[in-house]
Amino acid sequence: MANILFNQVYKRFGKYKEIAVSDFNLTVEDTEFIVLVGPSGCGKSTTLRMLAGLEDVSDGEIYIGDKLVNDIPPKDRDISMVFQNYALYPNMSVYENIAFGLRLRKLPKHEIDLAVKRAARVLEIENFLNRKPRELSGGQRQRVALGRAIVRTPQVFLMDEPLSNLDAKLRVQMRSEIINLHRKIEVTTIYVTHDQIEAMTMGDRVVVMNRGIIQQVDSPEMIYNKPVNMFVANFIGNPPMNFIKGKLQERDGELQFYTNRFDLTIPPAQASTLRSLHMIDREIILGIRPEHISFEPHRIEASSKSLVTGVLQFNEFVGSDRYYHIDIKQDRRLVIRANEGIRCDDGSLVTAAINMDKALFFHKDTEMLLTK
Amino acid sequence: MAVLNKMRQSMARSWSLYRSDFRSMDKTQIFLLLLLTLLAVFMLLPLVFIFNHAFKPLHELFLFPPTFFVRQPTLQNFTDLLQATQDTFLPVTRFIFNSIVVTLLSTVGMVILGALCAYPLAKHPFPGRKIVFGVILLSIMISVETMGIPRYIVVKSLGIMNTYWGHVLPILALPVGVFLLKQFMDQVPDELLEAAKLDGATEWQLLVRIILPIVTPAMATITILSFQTAWSNSETSALFMQDDAMKTLPFYVESLTSNLANTVARQGVAAAASLIIFMPNLIIFLLSQRKVIQTMAHSGIK
Ligand SMILES: Nc1ncnc2c1ncn2[C@@H]1O[C@H](COP(=O)(O)OP(=O)(O)O)[C@@H](O)[C@H]1O
Ligand SMILES: [Mg+2]
Repeated sequence: MANILFNQVYKRFGKYKEIAVSDFNLTVEDTEFIVLVGPSGCGKSTTLRMLAGLEDVSDGEIYIGDKLVNDIPPKDRDISMVFQNYALYPNMSVYENIAFGLRLRKLPKHEIDLAVKRAARVLEIENFLNRKPRELSGGQRQRVALGRAIVRTPQVFLMDEPLSNLDAKLRVQMRSEIINLHRKIEVTTIYVTHDQIEAMTMGDRVVVMNRGIIQQVDSPEMIYNKPVNMFVANFIGNPPMNFIKGKLQERDGELQFYTNRFDLTIPPAQASTLRSLHMIDREIILGIRPEHISFEPHRIEASSKSLVTGVLQFNEFVGSDRYYHIDIKQDRRLVIRANEGIRCDDGSLVTAAINMDKALFFHKDTEMLLTK
Repeated sequence: MAVLNKMRQSMARSWSLYRSDFRSMDKTQIFLLLLLTLLAVFMLLPLVFIFNHAFKPLHELFLFPPTFFVRQPTLQNFTDLLQATQDTFLPVTRFIFNSIVVTLLSTVGMVILGALCAYPLAKHPFPGRKIVFGVILLSIMISVETMGIPRYIVVKSLGIMNTYWGHVLPILALPVGVFLLKQFMDQVPDELLEAAKLDGATEWQLLVRIILPIVTPAMATITILSFQTAWSNSETSALFMQDDAMKTLPFYVESLTSNLANTVARQGVAAAASLIIFMPNLIIFLLSQRKVIQTMAHSGIK
């Protein structure tokens, strides 16, 4: 068990290449389950591999516990890792795969046997300990990989997109199994994924990365409700947050967000923040989640000062909800997530009410959140 | 018996494959099949000849035109072979013994050295590895004869003339083997090695416990290649062994059939010795043919 500290860690591949990881600072608490998430190529794997010792650190320090590990070889870091393609040894049986690390550590035979059987029981793979990896399904292989990782009771547990090769249903199941496993063994875990749903459902805290730079480190709730910039707002959530380009103006003592198609009145709390930031008459971007826009008649009546109108282009049925894509003459269509009960015809002119209390405002150039 | 069984099984398998494919073939394929079959028969003829020749009595050996098949098989040639060398105090068994020792040492050496050389070339991006690999590839193309004199100088200054080392060291490097093994090791996923590293494996354990078991087909292939190179090697006997007692079987056979020692009586002996030299190759190949063909298909050599 140990905490982990990244202190101003950089990674460059080759002298003239772009930086893969830049100024990475992060403290992971003991027994925490933290998720690194970001689009593919943003440096998640590289970060993980530096921690594991599989890649050199270009600059900065990494600590596991109180120990600086920059120059410690992987085998002495007491880390185990689960890879996306499982990386099971094809020439060994499941049993041998799990026992391999213990054998290399020269543990007595009966202890190895005990540890392997215990890990196999936890992961419910006792029945195919004698099989070769190629005789297993994807989900079973993933369990074996997990078994191999937990059997050594390492200080740190790393997982690099361990579920991406599984089908959707199995992924959901394994997600909760991994969480349960973590509750049981309580080992500090860093989990890498490009799937924002995995990140949100699994992480105690989530680290959102883009182009090698940490964007935000926070609880899933905070990341969803208070994204620090437009990248995070756009990356987390499905369908993603709507962005509307417009300007601020004062009218009748109220602050208004206006485009050439509609005006929206901003609630007092956010208005005072925006005023203090001198954003009046400047271009600004309003962010609103699809579920915070509504078609319901009583909402529309109650909020006459925050209505948008546009042509309904098409809608998507997703079971409990329906996504409506509305053309409001912006770069992107406005997406509304509404209850199945409401029906509109494609191509018709529709009006919807924006819940302005939930609106976020971003700087047009820096794309940073203004209303904290 | 096990050997025979295995051969029978593999033959049955290829025959059933052959039959099931035959029905779904178009004209080009049938034409190609016929062509290849003819070619195969043609390639097979020398083998048939070696087999039959060894059992021919003296008068059949010199028939003109020569015949492929023996009419009155005899073991006379083999008994002659055993007796032929008695007048020189060196029985043929001495040459056979030398050959076995040299072949074992060389084969083991070539395989180990090949693996040790291929592993870093495949899995460790050290500076200059492309150049090293290029040089190794290049050396495949240089014929052995051109290296005779430099080798002589090296062997002489090492003081290993007339020792088994003089047989083994000059042929220890097998560039083709390194090439094959490297191609195979390239395909072992890096994640596998990384997982093993995190499991606590040293470089040596990575090679022995992870890589080598995965590339067994390639290992089998280069074992055969090494074996054949060493078993049929007569050069080191000719160049570095002045002491007759240190010479090997292939050299002995060559001296039997060469013009200088050519006598009528020795033709039969030579035919028998040729068969003895050829047999191990055949047996090993038949036993491992499927693995070898697998290797060839993988490496893109075929
Ligand atoms: N071995 C390498 N050599 C050169 N560039 C690399 C190497 N590994 C990763 N990169 C680069 O570093 C960046 C981050 O990669 P990676 O950490 O694998 O991203 P992620 O895991 O988030 O998808 C990418 O731009 C990738 O091209
Ligand atoms: Mg990755």
